[in-house]
Amino acid sequence: MPASVSSPRIIPELGCCCTLHTQTFLSTVPTKPWHYRYSAFIVATTTMGEPHEDSHLHGHSKKPKLSSFITEPQLREEFAHHQPLVARINNGSFGSCPASIIAAQRRWQLKFLQQPDDFFVNHLQSRILHSRTLIKHLINANDVDEVSIVDNATTAAAIVLQHVGWAFAEGRFQNGDAVVMLHCAFQAVKKSIEAYVTRAGGSVVVVQLPFPLSSTEEIVVAFKKGLARGKANGRKVRLAIIDHITSMPCVVIPVRELVRICREEGVDQVFVDAAHAIGSVHVDVKDIGADFYVSNLHKWFFCPPSVAFLHCQKSPVMPDLHHPVVSHEYGNGLAIESAWIGTRDYSSQLVVPEVLDFIDRFEGGIEGIRKRNHDAVVQMAEMLAKAWGTNLGSPPDMCPSMAMVGLPASLGISSDTDASKLRTHLRDHFGVEVPLHYQAPKENGDKGSLITGYARISHQVYNTVDDYLKFRDAINQLVQDMFTCSMLLQQ
Amino acid sequence: MFLSRSLHKPFSATASSSSSSVSSMASHHLHHQNGDSTITTTHSPPSKKLKATPITPSELLAEFSHHHPSTARINNGSFGSCPASIIAAQRKYQLQYLQQPDDFYFNRLKPYILKTRSIIKDLINADHVDEISVVDNATTAAAIVLQHITWSFFESKFNKGDTAVMLHYAYGAVKKSVQAYVTRAGGEVIEVKLPFPLKSNDEIITEFKKALEKGKSNGRKIRLAVIDHVTSMPCVVIPVKELVKICRDEGVDRIFVDAAHAIGCAEVDMQDIGADFYTSNLHKWFFCPPSVAFLYSRKTDKIADLHHPVVSHEYGNGLAVESAWIGTRDYSAQLVLPEVMDFLSRFEGGIDGIRKRNHERVVEMGEMLAAVWGTHLGSPPKMCASLAMVGMPACLGISSDSDALKLRTHLRDCFGIEVPIYYRAPNDGEFNPITGYARISHQVYNTTEDYYKFRDAVNKLVNDAFTCALLSD
Repeated sequence: MPASVSSPRIIPELGCCCTLHTQTFLSTVPTKPWHYRYSAFIVATTTMGEPHEDSHLHGHSKKPKLSSFITEPQLREEFAHHQPLVARINNGSFGSCPASIIAAQRRWQLKFLQQPDDFFVNHLQSRILHSRTLIKHLINANDVDEVSIVDNATTAAAIVLQHVGWAFAEGRFQNGDAVVMLHCAFQAVKKSIEAYVTRAGGSVVVVQLPFPLSSTEEIVVAFKKGLARGKANGRKVRLAIIDHITSMPCVVIPVRELVRICREEGVDQVFVDAAHAIGSVHVDVKDIGADFYVSNLHKWFFCPPSVAFLHCQKSPVMPDLHHPVVSHEYGNGLAIESAWIGTRDYSSQLVVPEVLDFIDRFEGGIEGIRKRNHDAVVQMAEMLAKAWGTNLGSPPDMCPSMAMVGLPASLGISSDTDASKLRTHLRDHFGVEVPLHYQAPKENGDKGSLITGYARISHQVYNTVDDYLKFRDAINQLVQDMFTCSMLLQQ
Repeated sequence: MFLSRSLHKPFSATASSSSSSVSSMASHHLHHQNGDSTITTTHSPPSKKLKATPITPSELLAEFSHHHPSTARINNGSFGSCPASIIAAQRKYQLQYLQQPDDFYFNRLKPYILKTRSIIKDLINADHVDEISVVDNATTAAAIVLQHITWSFFESKFNKGDTAVMLHYAYGAVKKSVQAYVTRAGGEVIEVKLPFPLKSNDEIITEFKKALEKGKSNGRKIRLAVIDHVTSMPCVVIPVKELVKICRDEGVDRIFVDAAHAIGCAEVDMQDIGADFYTSNLHKWFFCPPSVAFLYSRKTDKIADLHHPVVSHEYGNGLAVESAWIGTRDYSAQLVLPEVMDFLSRFEGGIDGIRKRNHERVVEMGEMLAAVWGTHLGSPPKMCASLAMVGMPACLGISSDSDALKLRTHLRDCFGIEVPIYYRAPNDGEFNPITGYARISHQVYNTTEDYYKFRDAVNKLVNDAFTCALLSD
């Protein structure tokens, strides 16, 4: 039987087991305490499987579906530019982009450089509209006018929060009116709230969420409590900022429910920061029902850096949203404003069609990728937790394509700085790229409270088992060597 | 072939334009060292490397071979241009990031951007590297400065009705930004009406003084003056140094020079010009890929609380540091300054030499066209940078902005000529006025053929009794 040259893909248990194909071979991985559920790859045939709910047929390639799923060597080639010696288990931070999409992007860049005036006048706007239209279908938005393309979630936050800032300045909001955020909101968003809300006279209500977690219910209870506290003294809550998937620690938030609670509690507007969501969880903006929803396409949707969409529910407030970089299109609606913010490279915004083609090459499209990533990352997390004698930070159903895995207490992670230094140490000495989270110990003293450090492992299509084994072994080595964070020098 | 058909000298030669001297230059490039040491490239950083090989005509062609071959590209002013070797350098940085983005973010990005800022600081004769921020483009820089004005109004540092003064010819995007951030916040905007065509700087200075008077009337304070260094349309070099001095004399709070075009086609010296804020695009005339610009913010006793509007982790650490991280994106265009400096050193006189030759060529071509068409330049040569406004024959009947745009499209689609056209409303009593001006650019890749092509296209239109009225919407 053909030897497997590189580490096999993780094949999680699925109802039907058609994933990668071209060769049928028996796994040559030596037996370990754990092993694959399936040790054979089965050639996928021509069945289409269930239609993707993320349909992109409108205005997009209508090629007949062949049994041309991406092969293992092709997949390796698509990510051959990734640094080979690094166990890259941090897709969550900066995402990843296949070689064929980079090539597509370069074609657009070249088109601009060849004749920029012609590109600007005859191509750019229609291509951006095309991207917006495809995204609209992806996320189940009502109207393409609701979909703006911006650089990243950070920019989207600035757009929404600047709008709040104006409302304070122009007297529509009163001094002291509140903005609600989760305590684990992304730091850049917190700074944006400081810059646009606090500075303008607004107050900020911080909702603490527990971690580790054992159920979604804990989040709902905590949020209700936090919101009620925020409304105390008759304060008006003008905006709630809710993560769809928190960054650190990483969990899937029940946004639909929290949005509903916000509406019930009279919150003016809800902004969902879903930086990670598209490509790692199901995104249906109608179903979620927020006023504003942003997600980065370069994290889990294979786009080059950088591109994100900001969905704004059609409402009386919508015309008042502006891109902070004001250019010729000021006043023509956020989507049009965002499509021209001065001379720059818009090419990453134009490859959405090519990305959909790429995704088509995977069984089940983006849904299939999502599911397999989730299953694989949970499997790997459980493997690590078992190897280290720790636990996951949340139940699997609250993990997207990432999971929080407890690190052995003996490592002595006792601060954010420790976590950061240990992360650097893992990168520099073990070739493992993984972000670490410091979790202050709980008061109640149960077993979980001994764990003060969690690793946020990601799984994307390019990951292999070896990546996680490398991490497992690195930590085991550190534990064996009686390593503690206090041994690390100041960064 | 290339040399014999061009009117101008090859870029690597000094006196002679023959190909033999070019090749001898290439093989005896050490001679250049002696020559170059006498050339004042005022603000280029001292090179510690061996002298670069002078660029040959064929190398130059290769550097711009990605340009659309059958287009007479005489509009470098709008979107700039980027040599192939710089594109290649940019791709190296892009790839470095994609290979291991965390490592790039933690270990490389900040030092790379600091290097860029240092190079710019030397280029423009700024005092401290802290004064230099790298942003996407002048449009972004304008938003930064103007958002600061908004806060000043709302935090009651400024009074409702305080004024901002800007040129009538200010760039359209900047005007919108002023509307979005100043007018909306309660400020009043005074526009300086400038005549066009222009004969001298005096006309500009006179009008500017008038506008300042208006801005100060009724006890108001002029909080901001926005002055172009090189206006976009119509394109002239503004005497910024003089205008900045007038602003200081008249007690204008802050002066922002929008110099989108300047770096690489005008003289840029922060000590000499003396503005509070100064921005210029490096992708227009400085061979950078799209897009990268610098915003200079003078260190003074008055703290200018500037912030990048896209707020991220570095908020509060100073504009330069804030701008160096505004979320995950491709910063590679900001990182190629070292490679651009290498590229420039391959030209006689570096960027100063390029600038001078571009200016001489564009004036020469402008005068050639004006002579052939029986028109004139929109300003004297000394008020032209690497661009010139050339009158179009009156019989073309350019009678509105829309006509100018339609004619421009017609020239692109039917003649393969890329050149922006400006409509200028005639004054009362003007006989057979020239109402259309072409803004021609000259950059190192241009040849005389480009301008002959334009000359011939317009001659043909005239011969065919073409008028803009014939063009559909």
